[in-house]
Amino acid sequence: MNGLMQDVTYALRQLRKAPGFTLTAVLTLALGIGANAAIFTLVHAVLLQNLPVSDPKSLVRLGDKDDCCVMGGRPENEGYSLFAYDLYKHLRDSAPEFEQLAAMQAGVSQGALTARRGASNSLSKASSGEFVSGNYFQTFGLQSYAGRLLLPSDDVAGAPMAAVLSYRAWQRDYAMDPSVVGSIFELNTHPVTVVGITPPSFYGDRMTDTPPDFYLPVTMEPILDPGALLKRPEASWLYVLGRVKPGTQIGPLQEKMSGLLRDWLIPQKVYQNADGKKALPKSHIVLTPGGVGIANMQAEYRSGLELLMGISGLVLLIACANIANLVLVRGMARRAETSIRMALGAARKRIIRQMLTESLVLACLGGVAGLAVSYAGTRMLLALAFPDSPGLPIHASPSLPMLGFAFGLSLLTGLIFGIAPAWITSHSEPAESLRGANRSTRDSASLLQRSLVVTQAALSLVLLVGAGLLTRSLNKLEHQNFGLQTENRVVIHISPDNAGYKPDQLQALYGEIEDRFRALPGVEGVGLSLYTPLEGDNWGEGVTIQGRPEPGQNDHVGASWDRVTPDFFQVIGQRILRGRGITDQDTGTSPIVAVVNETFVKKFFPNGEDPIGAHFGLDGVKSAGEIEIVGVVSDVKYVNPREAVQAMYFRPFLQHAPLSDNADVRSLFAGAIMLQMRGPSEGLEAQVRRTLANINPNLTVVNFNTFGGQIEGQFTQEKLIARLTLMFGMLALVLASVGLYGVTAYTVARRTPEIGIRMALGAGRGNVVSMVLREAMLQAGVGLAIGLPVALLCVRFLKTQLYGTGGQDPVVFAGAIVVLVVSACVAGLIPARRAASTDPVKALRTE
Amino acid sequence: MATDTMIQIEDLKKIFYTDEIETHALSGVHLNINRGEYVAMSGPSGCGKSTLLSIIGLLDTPTGGSYTLNGKAVANLNFADRSRIRNQEIGFIFQSFNLIGDLTVAENVELPLTYRAGMPATERKKRVQESLERVNMAHRMRHYPAQLSGGQQQRVAVARALAGSPSILLADEPTGNLDSKNGEAVMKLLQELHAEGATICMVTHDPRFAAHAERQVHLFDGKVVAEGELNRLLAEVEG
Repeated sequence: MNGLMQDVTYALRQLRKAPGFTLTAVLTLALGIGANAAIFTLVHAVLLQNLPVSDPKSLVRLGDKDDCCVMGGRPENEGYSLFAYDLYKHLRDSAPEFEQLAAMQAGVSQGALTARRGASNSLSKASSGEFVSGNYFQTFGLQSYAGRLLLPSDDVAGAPMAAVLSYRAWQRDYAMDPSVVGSIFELNTHPVTVVGITPPSFYGDRMTDTPPDFYLPVTMEPILDPGALLKRPEASWLYVLGRVKPGTQIGPLQEKMSGLLRDWLIPQKVYQNADGKKALPKSHIVLTPGGVGIANMQAEYRSGLELLMGISGLVLLIACANIANLVLVRGMARRAETSIRMALGAARKRIIRQMLTESLVLACLGGVAGLAVSYAGTRMLLALAFPDSPGLPIHASPSLPMLGFAFGLSLLTGLIFGIAPAWITSHSEPAESLRGANRSTRDSASLLQRSLVVTQAALSLVLLVGAGLLTRSLNKLEHQNFGLQTENRVVIHISPDNAGYKPDQLQALYGEIEDRFRALPGVEGVGLSLYTPLEGDNWGEGVTIQGRPEPGQNDHVGASWDRVTPDFFQVIGQRILRGRGITDQDTGTSPIVAVVNETFVKKFFPNGEDPIGAHFGLDGVKSAGEIEIVGVVSDVKYVNPREAVQAMYFRPFLQHAPLSDNADVRSLFAGAIMLQMRGPSEGLEAQVRRTLANINPNLTVVNFNTFGGQIEGQFTQEKLIARLTLMFGMLALVLASVGLYGVTAYTVARRTPEIGIRMALGAGRGNVVSMVLREAMLQAGVGLAIGLPVALLCVRFLKTQLYGTGGQDPVVFAGAIVVLVVSACVAGLIPARRAASTDPVKALRTE
Repeated sequence: MATDTMIQIEDLKKIFYTDEIETHALSGVHLNINRGEYVAMSGPSGCGKSTLLSIIGLLDTPTGGSYTLNGKAVANLNFADRSRIRNQEIGFIFQSFNLIGDLTVAENVELPLTYRAGMPATERKKRVQESLERVNMAHRMRHYPAQLSGGQQQRVAVARALAGSPSILLADEPTGNLDSKNGEAVMKLLQELHAEGATICMVTHDPRFAAHAERQVHLFDGKVVAEGELNRLLAEVEG
């Protein structure tokens, strides 16, 4: 212990004596460790962190997919992750292995609830609410912060309407007013008593940027939502998560739950036909650890975060190589001192220990500085990854696991960059070093130094190629032809159902909205739709064309669809190619019509049949004559900007197909108003809010955005990854260039006598410059030769992240090579020019 | 100018400036060296003999005076011209051999030839072979300097100086790092080269080795104070 303290003290003294070296090393390490710690903060929060509930390890989720939010048929591969309410009850009541089995709404989004505190005169505001089973909080083992949490007795039809307010919403919207507990709120115009506040640390059953403000008993769903799902066994819309009793074996329980599932599915309508009967035995439930809750965000961000972790790891490796070089140079400069120590009897082990201690102290200093970099880095990451998401429960301030990670990483880093220099320095021959530099000997350290530079160059190329591919991919993604106009377009999301409107009131409401918004200054066009392009929503159905046989299980008959008002196509710039668009004459009582897109025509009329006048239905052959195609519009990217345009049809609002629509009235409620402005729309938001409030005080703005901004929001993750990869790539390039410069400068200094000799023998300045540069470029060249196949190999892992560019994009590869070569050239040229200015007389005197 | 005068130095001065101190290393040196001559320069430490050799070898430039090499004024040539003349006209032999550790014996000898534009590789190899044979080191051409004794290293250094067929060989204390046996061997080699017609200018502080030269120049305080046979010179100085 005493020896260790002595080593640490000596190490600190040595580092103090070399402030330039220490500063460079600490800064390099801070960047490397800080970047990794920042990414780890995100990885820990998103992928690893358990819910802040009691004993999260005994929680088990039913299902393993991130399906959302309402599923109408059978799931992909027959694996159930979403459940109907009746199915949930069946599973809960038949599985005593669970202490508690809770259900929670899958689709939780901002604006799903319109809330107003009853006693106050405040305006209604768009909030988020989640329907949960009455045992939800018991399942998580939570205690309320104030009042009480929901109980099974609240989740019974006819029970007094109760809700629990989240601590965050209580703090943010109600200034932690204690009188909120027990007070009446109007939720979607219905009086509901807030019975308690959740504990402060609880952010819900999943990591999301829109955690719920209100937790509501699931049996209240039909009251608050006109398109009630609770009593529709064909609608799967709940996640299920439970706490197993101690000692329960998950394997047999999974089998049992799958059996219970199949028992319940047998009488269901979707399993009555041949395909359904065939699929039934395959229907199953996978049980997954539920400690992290519903891991949808984990699924969404996992590959991106893993990629970033890998990239930041590479940057740290490059930083390590750099520091190893610096330490090696220092070790060589201190060779005489080491030799004296060895001559005085120090064992190699002792020398290695001393040098390693110095490296570890240095790494720890770098780690401490890295915490500051990490804090700033995490804030930047959060801003990039989750813009406008103040509700996200991830914080930039260092957590205990992050501190542990940074400390562990510092120690590992110290070992990585310290061990080889310590070994080499300790193996210098004491007699050789004490003798001086008269005899020319070959230097084993320089081989390691060059190898480190080659490694740096190779890794930098890999990162540059990755950064290039991702940047190019993002560029293509953002600048693709979406088939629509975004300039001076504004999207306003609304929720008329939350404002208490009934289907028969909607026609009048839509008319009033169109009239009032058209009257606003600067507004050129107004369109309403169920949802808008590229907002992340998608409604889909299976289509049966009249005159065709009943589609089989393997027939791809899916199409996306939307409801729009007559002007909507024009407002978003979607062209009518054939027939007509939606008109004012397409009302709830007129013939049921649809306008289809080009891809729909190609998919369902592949032989050039005329789609105009053709009919289709949404519930098999028996419904195939219900909807008439009256027009064809141009293709627009609606759902996923990364995928090809999907077959799509558009229907007028308020037209209801009796066979096809399965009494689902939810689609009748417009979710968005799209405005086409004559110019920029400053100050429009306040006008919009006023206009809606004048129509109905409960008609709130759920979200206000420009159309361009909405589309841009689709690329957040790509932007995060591309920008960070580019940043890491540039950092790697700088580190590699500094490394190459350092080694070249050191080599030049070490070879000053040799350069003097060469000059004495007639070498000109050009000869010296080209000699030094050639060596630097050789190292970069070897790095390129190694890095190129490695990059080609690594690109495989990137392929899923790329759009519109192959993994072997020659432009990107050529660009990365040119950047690396130019950087190497610049890094080598500085010491080369210095070498060329060597005074041969002085150089020979040194020798 | 006599046709056999290879080096003609008139009133050569060299002043070193460090901070505010002027050090006069050479203070008006006059010296002629004829083609085929073997000259030894001696003098006490700090007398300026190495500085003079550096200027003769175009490694350094004088502060004043004139220096003519093969009839051409070379004192104030630019760096590139001096490099070219050094490469083509001058062969260096250093006290500490100054071989490059990362290059083999053959590569070391070939090195000055690689700086001559246009010399084909076959010609270079031929000259390397001849030079090494001349110093009896051809059998070690694939070795590295560290694998040779001091005497062998100095013979390789001589071969390197010879490879370019220079007008003059400049030797700076060529025996300084050698034991007496190897020192004698190198002196013998230089004598043989002189006998074959080489012009040699050697700096040495050892009278035994200076005696090998046909002419001795003695420097003191940056000036040539005497020329002739060394023992006589010493007697004159002491007297």
